[in-house]
Amino acid sequence: MENLQLLLGGFATVFTMQNVLACLLGAILGLIVGAMPGIGSLAGVALLLPLTYKFNPTTAIIMLGALYYANMYGGAFSAILLNIPGDSPAVMTALDGYPMATKKGRPGQALFTANMASCIGGTIGMIILTFMGPALAEVGLRFGPAEMAVLLLVAMTSIGWLVGENPTKGVVVTMLGIVLASIGMDTLTGSPRYNFGNLQLMGGIPFIPFVIGTVGFAQVIQLMEERYKETDARVDAKLTIRGSMLTRHDFRRLLPPALRSGFLGTFVGVLPGAGATTGAFLGYAAQKAFKSEEPLGSGAIEGIASCEAANNAAAAGSFAPLLALGIPGSGTGAVLLGGLMMWGLNPGPLLFSKSPDFAWGLIASLYLANILTLIIAIGVIPFLIKILSVPLKYMVPCITVVCIVGSYSTSNSMYGVLVMLLSGVLGYILNKNKYSTAPMLLSFVLAPMLESNIRKAFIASRGSVAIFFSSAICQVLMLVFFVIIFTPVFKAILKKFKKGKPTA
Amino acid sequence: MKKLLAIVLVLVLTVSMLAGCGGATGSSSAASASAPASSAAASGSEAPAEAEAPAGWKPSKNIEWIVTSSPGGGSDIYTRMIQDIMVTEGLVDQTILVNNKTDGGGEVGRAQVSATKAGDQSDHTLLTFNSGDLMPMLLNTQSRIDGFTPIALMAVDNQLLFKGEHTTYADFAEAIEAAKNGTVVVLGGSKGDDVATYQKMLEEIGLTESEMPYITSDSTSDAITSILGGHIDFVISKPAAATEYVEAGRLIPVIALASQRYGGALADAPTLSEIGDYNNVDIPVWRGVVGPKNMSPEAVAYWTDVFKQVSESDQWKTDYLEKNMLISNYMNADEAAAFMTAYQQDYMAKEGLK
Repeated sequence: MENLQLLLGGFATVFTMQNVLACLLGAILGLIVGAMPGIGSLAGVALLLPLTYKFNPTTAIIMLGALYYANMYGGAFSAILLNIPGDSPAVMTALDGYPMATKKGRPGQALFTANMASCIGGTIGMIILTFMGPALAEVGLRFGPAEMAVLLLVAMTSIGWLVGENPTKGVVVTMLGIVLASIGMDTLTGSPRYNFGNLQLMGGIPFIPFVIGTVGFAQVIQLMEERYKETDARVDAKLTIRGSMLTRHDFRRLLPPALRSGFLGTFVGVLPGAGATTGAFLGYAAQKAFKSEEPLGSGAIEGIASCEAANNAAAAGSFAPLLALGIPGSGTGAVLLGGLMMWGLNPGPLLFSKSPDFAWGLIASLYLANILTLIIAIGVIPFLIKILSVPLKYMVPCITVVCIVGSYSTSNSMYGVLVMLLSGVLGYILNKNKYSTAPMLLSFVLAPMLESNIRKAFIASRGSVAIFFSSAICQVLMLVFFVIIFTPVFKAILKKFKKGKPTA
Repeated sequence: MKKLLAIVLVLVLTVSMLAGCGGATGSSSAASASAPASSAAASGSEAPAEAEAPAGWKPSKNIEWIVTSSPGGGSDIYTRMIQDIMVTEGLVDQTILVNNKTDGGGEVGRAQVSATKAGDQSDHTLLTFNSGDLMPMLLNTQSRIDGFTPIALMAVDNQLLFKGEHTTYADFAEAIEAAKNGTVVVLGGSKGDDVATYQKMLEEIGLTESEMPYITSDSTSDAITSILGGHIDFVISKPAAATEYVEAGRLIPVIALASQRYGGALADAPTLSEIGDYNNVDIPVWRGVVGPKNMSPEAVAYWTDVFKQVSESDQWKTDYLEKNMLISNYMNADEAAAFMTAYQQDYMAKEGLK
């Protein structure tokens, strides 16, 4: 109850004209930044930070918090409408969002689903943050290298749910993702790997241009190929605000995955170094284990809801270690932390007791930002979906420009553009031959984390495997891992056994 | 009609994206552009100081300042703080654009600055250069410090060794004993500087890397996360990153990795020579600024003077040095060049590089 009181105090801080306006401005900027591929929340917050030095710290952090938060909404826009993920967590949104918008002709509902799910996931995350933030942060600390390594093993098995009909092809693309991820500096010793003497490759393949290429630019190549087959306008559905509303049935489909992912996402967000992208991946993969009305990947509402809810919940969850312990749960969190220090606040275990106004004001502003962003997003949806009725011959050059600008801006160099173009060709070839690119992206994200955690665990244990079974968390996760691995094997044996019985 | 509206919308979207990007990269210039107005008033009192500056070369166009690490990190804050001081104190009247070039672990940005051709551009290019940048550059590339023109050295830092709540050893001497008797004592810390200090310390206390292993984290805050969770026994950190945790009682300083003890909350930590028959480990972590190899001597003279004035400003002393517990150690271009070259020689000798 004490927390509730403090939260109300936080709301009192937030509800001044100046702070609400700052929150609104942050939310709008966040939506724009999020919708722009290449400029994720990290860059958005980092670039806005110097401008806010002259503000008072509470107003500034409210604006930055809102920006970070709204960014998660914005990422879904370009993913659903253009098949270009606006930020990395939106990769999964594109899997179902784009088919739903184009093949099914329901772009309005796709965007609504994404935003509603974001709001639900975010709200769950924030309620948990309000009541259990510091406690959860302590639980997150228990996840050391060994625990993280086993958790990532479990996450890697979830790739199995994404591979589609042909397991061999799935394994091939997964391996490709791992190989590409291993290029660059060794995470522990800092020595270059597979860079072939090339300075650019020494830093590895940047994720954002890689994603824009394999998903977005591959799409452009495909569109150009299909140009002659298609009619002028791609979607003729009535693109009005009424026509883009969710039906009651849609809403019922959206709710369970959004709730599940809300809890899962919050927990992933709390873990050190995991973040919103991993949250979205896991949320989506977990949905595979539950029933969906349509198969995932074909434009299912459940698919959009599960990953969008998870990434917003993770964004909220990552504030727990930041506020309670001064540990950034994500890159964006690290920038915010830098900002706090510039304002003379010392983030750390004492922040809540030393500057309660500030800490609770920030949490209250997240609630506010969540609602404001939803309202703004719903307001712009009817206008945004008009993009889909633009003829292809105008869309292709526009999307290409967006791809190039987005990949350039990740590191302000043409290297990103080159990576984007090459991975676009790679993605096109893979799609053409019915290899799904999602497992590749997932393994590209998870493999480096798995590698560094396993190696750290081995350093600490001097090479003994026992460390992966030493703590309770490890043992439980290992059990889950083995159950997932062996279930199909046992099922197959059981099937054979049943089949064999009558004849024997 | 509908079609036309749609086209207009797409155009607006694209333009806003471009504008957004333009605004993004230009944000630092916006910040500095607004400031000259306010500094104009202040420059009245600054006038004598400016008159002392060598009349000769002066920047005549935008200055590009390259930082090879990502926005928000230590190097970035250091750079933007100096940029802010230069503008508010009216030391530089051209716009300074800070550009984060992180490709190739920073090597691409460094190579680009090093290779800037003589002329106007090379006089208007700066590069943030720290000990943590020099070490990977020496290890992984053929570039050496003589490929740059050192301009100034601004500050020096040292590290401490901390134990956490879960650490079972009372102090570091006990941990050394345990490690010598075969128990694994795990240390952790960040990359670069911290690793160099760790290696030097091991050499001093006579242990091998398998007796007292070190887990490299991406950043000091990651390393502190590990020790708070009890996954490592000791952590190496600079004072600034750890003081909050010391105050909250979650980290306890056990060794000052410097020639003398720190003050304040860190005063309890003895130096290495106090706990046994060891020499003090003192590897300075420094922050500096360099320019392209081909920067003209006039421009070097101008810049080294500007950085001197920054190091003497109140804002630098209170908002940067004091806050981060750094030791002010301004060196001009010649001194910095000698210092960096000596540092390079030491490091290369230790790593067996030629």
